[in-house]
Amino acid sequence: MSAQERAAVIAALNGPAVTAPTRATLLERLDARYERQFLSETEFARLRAVAVRLVPHDPAEMDLSGLIDQRLHQNLSDGWRYADTPADGPAYQGLLAALPSNFETLSGDEQDAAIHELQASQPHPFEDLLAELTEGFMAHPLTQYRFGYAGFMDAPGWPRVGPNELEAREIAYGESGNDQ
Amino acid sequence: MTNNPELDVLVIGTGAGGAPLLARLAAAGLRVLALEAGVRHRPAEMPTDEVAQAGLFWMDERLSAGKDPVGFGRNNSGRGVGGSTLHYTAYTPRAQPDDFELLKEFGQGVDWPLSYADLEPYYDEVEQFLGVSGPSEYPWGPPRQRPYPHPALPLNGAALLMEQAAQQSGIRTSAAANAALSRPQEQEGYGLRPACSNRGFCQAGCSTGAKASLDVTYLALAEARGATIWEGAQVTKLLMKGGRVSGAEFVRGGKTQTLHARQVVLAAGAIETPRLLLLSGVGNSSEQVGRNFMAHVGVQVWGLVDDDLRPYKGIPGGLISEDFHRIPGLVGGYLLQSLGVMPVTYATQYARGTGKWGAALSEHLSQYNHVAGINVLGECLPYAGNFLELSSELDERGLPKPLIHFSFGENEHRMAKHAETVMRDLWAKIGAREVWALPRAAHTIGTARMGHDPSSNVVDAFGRSHDTPGLWICDNSTFPSSLSVNPGLTQMALSLRTADALIAELKA
Repeated sequence: MSAQERAAVIAALNGPAVTAPTRATLLERLDARYERQFLSETEFARLRAVAVRLVPHDPAEMDLSGLIDQRLHQNLSDGWRYADTPADGPAYQGLLAALPSNFETLSGDEQDAAIHELQASQPHPFEDLLAELTEGFMAHPLTQYRFGYAGFMDAPGWPRVGPNELEAREIAYGESGNDQ
Repeated sequence: MTNNPELDVLVIGTGAGGAPLLARLAAAGLRVLALEAGVRHRPAEMPTDEVAQAGLFWMDERLSAGKDPVGFGRNNSGRGVGGSTLHYTAYTPRAQPDDFELLKEFGQGVDWPLSYADLEPYYDEVEQFLGVSGPSEYPWGPPRQRPYPHPALPLNGAALLMEQAAQQSGIRTSAAANAALSRPQEQEGYGLRPACSNRGFCQAGCSTGAKASLDVTYLALAEARGATIWEGAQVTKLLMKGGRVSGAEFVRGGKTQTLHARQVVLAAGAIETPRLLLLSGVGNSSEQVGRNFMAHVGVQVWGLVDDDLRPYKGIPGGLISEDFHRIPGLVGGYLLQSLGVMPVTYATQYARGTGKWGAALSEHLSQYNHVAGINVLGECLPYAGNFLELSSELDERGLPKPLIHFSFGENEHRMAKHAETVMRDLWAKIGAREVWALPRAAHTIGTARMGHDPSSNVVDAFGRSHDTPGLWICDNSTFPSSLSVNPGLTQMALSLRTADALIAELKA
C-alpha cells in the first residue's frame, strides 16, 4: 500500500462522517496481522501461495491467510457447513494436501491449472475457502478504498439514493472516485 | 427468580415469534420472562461493517445436507435481543388470502388451519405499531382497513432500474412496504425513532432505530409493561412435571439454571425449536417434529450497469411486484423485489455462486458500485425428504448439532427457472452486463407444523401443543406452507394471535 493510499484511508476513517464503532472496527482491520497458530509452517506457506492466486492481493498489505489461520485456531464457525465436508480445519488441510508437492515453486499458470483441478475434485471445501478469502479481501479498508466504496462514511446519512446521486464524500473517496 | 412459582409465562426466544407476544402478555398484567440466547445489540453501538456484525447471527454450526443444502450463519438465523429482526430487511408484505389454501386450490401442499380473515386485524395492528412505510395504493391483495402509517421510502438505484425495466415489460410494480420509518415516530416504551438515514445496512443491524427490529419496538414495550428479558441464556432442555411442560433448563454465565412457569412458549425459530423438542423428547407424538422443512425459492439475478448505483444506499428491497403470484402450470408463485447489497455479502455470494477466482473475481468486484440485483421469494412445498434431525456430531455443549436435509422439488426447480428467465429479461431491458444468477433458498420454515389434526401436526391453529399441556410454539416452524412472501409480518401477526389465546387460557 502506498503511503498516499494509507494516508487517504486513515484520513477518511478519522473524518467526521464515520461513526465511532465503525472507525474502531476499520482502523483495527487496516493493520491486523496474525501469528500462525493452527496450520503447520508448510501448510501455511501453501495457503499463502493459493490465496494470492484465488484472490489477488499482497500479503504484506492484508494478512488474509493469517486471518483464516486465526479463525481455525479459535475454532470459530460461520454457522454452518456442508454435511459431506469435514470440519473447516481438516477440510482446508485436505485441500492444501491435495495440491502438487511443489505447488509454491510452480509458475502462475501451472498453479492455476492445479487450482482448477482442486476446484473440480473438492468443490465444497474449495467454495468455503474461496468465500472466506473473498470476505477478508472485500472487508479490508484498502480494498474498499481502491474500489471506491464509501458506505462506511454514513454518519450524516444518505439523503439521495438514486443512480449517480453521489455525495461529495463519495466522489472524493477512492480510485474509482478519482477516475470520474 | 429461579423456580419462581409466580411466573405465568416463560418465553424462549425474542424474535418475531416471541417479542410481540411478550409485549401483549405483559400488557395484560401477566408475569412474563423471556430467555434469549444472544445478547443486546444497541443501535448506536453497531458499526457499518458486515464482518464486525457477525454476532447478530446464529453461528453455532449446523450441518446442511441434500441436493440443495441451505446456508445458515449469516443468512437465515438471528441471535440477540430481537432475534432475526435485528438483521431482517424489514420487508413486510402481507400474504394473500389464497396463500393459506394451497391444497384447496392446487391439490398439493396443505391448507392453514386459519384464514387471511383471522390474521387481517393482526396484520393491521402490527403495521400500525411498527410504523410500516408503504405506498398509498397497493395493487395486489385485498384492500387494507387502514393505509400504511408512513409514505414509502425512497427508491434506490436498483429499484429505479427495475421499475424502468418492468414498465417496458408490462409488469406492474409498487414501492414496497418496509418496517423502516420514512418519518420519525414516537415508540411506546422506547422513545423517538428517527426517519431512516438510507444507510442500507439493514442486514447488518440498524444503527439508528429507524428500522423496526423488535428490540426498539415490541420488546421495549414489553419491558415498559413489566416483562423481564434475560439475555445470554441458552436453553438446553424443556422440563416436564406431571405430564406437562413446566419450564426450561438453560446455561447463563457458565451456570446451568432452571426456570418454571405455568405456560412455556417456544419461539426459537424453525431450527432451534425442533432441535430443542427432539433433545427434550417433548411434543412429538405426531412424529412430525423436524418434518416439512421449507425454504423459499430465492434465486437472485445480478448485473452491472454504467450508472453509479452505490448499492450500499437506501432500503435494500424498495420495489416489489406480485404480478407472478400465480403462474399457469405451477403451484403457488413468487414475488419480485429489487435488491441493494452490502459489499462483503455481494462479494462472497459472487464467489460462491460463480466459482470465479483470480483476476476475473477481483475485476468484477472492483465494479461493486455498479451492481444491481433483483430476487424472488417463491412458494416451497413440504416434502418428506426435507427434514431436520439430530446429528451424531456434538456441539461444544455436548448436544447433537442439527442436521438439515433439503432438496428442491420439481415445482421449485420450475419456479426458479421461470423467475430467472423473467429477471434476466428485465436486466436485458436496461442493458445490464455480466448478468449472473445465484440459485438460493431463503428463510427457514416448517418443522413444527400447525393444523387441526393431532396425528399429522405438532400444534393447533393457535400454536398450542397437541399432545403436551403447558407448551406453545410461536415461530416460523409452525407455518404449514411457506407463503410466497417474507415471513416476518405474518409471524408477528401470529404472535399476537397466540398471545390472545394464551391470555384467554390463563384467565379462564
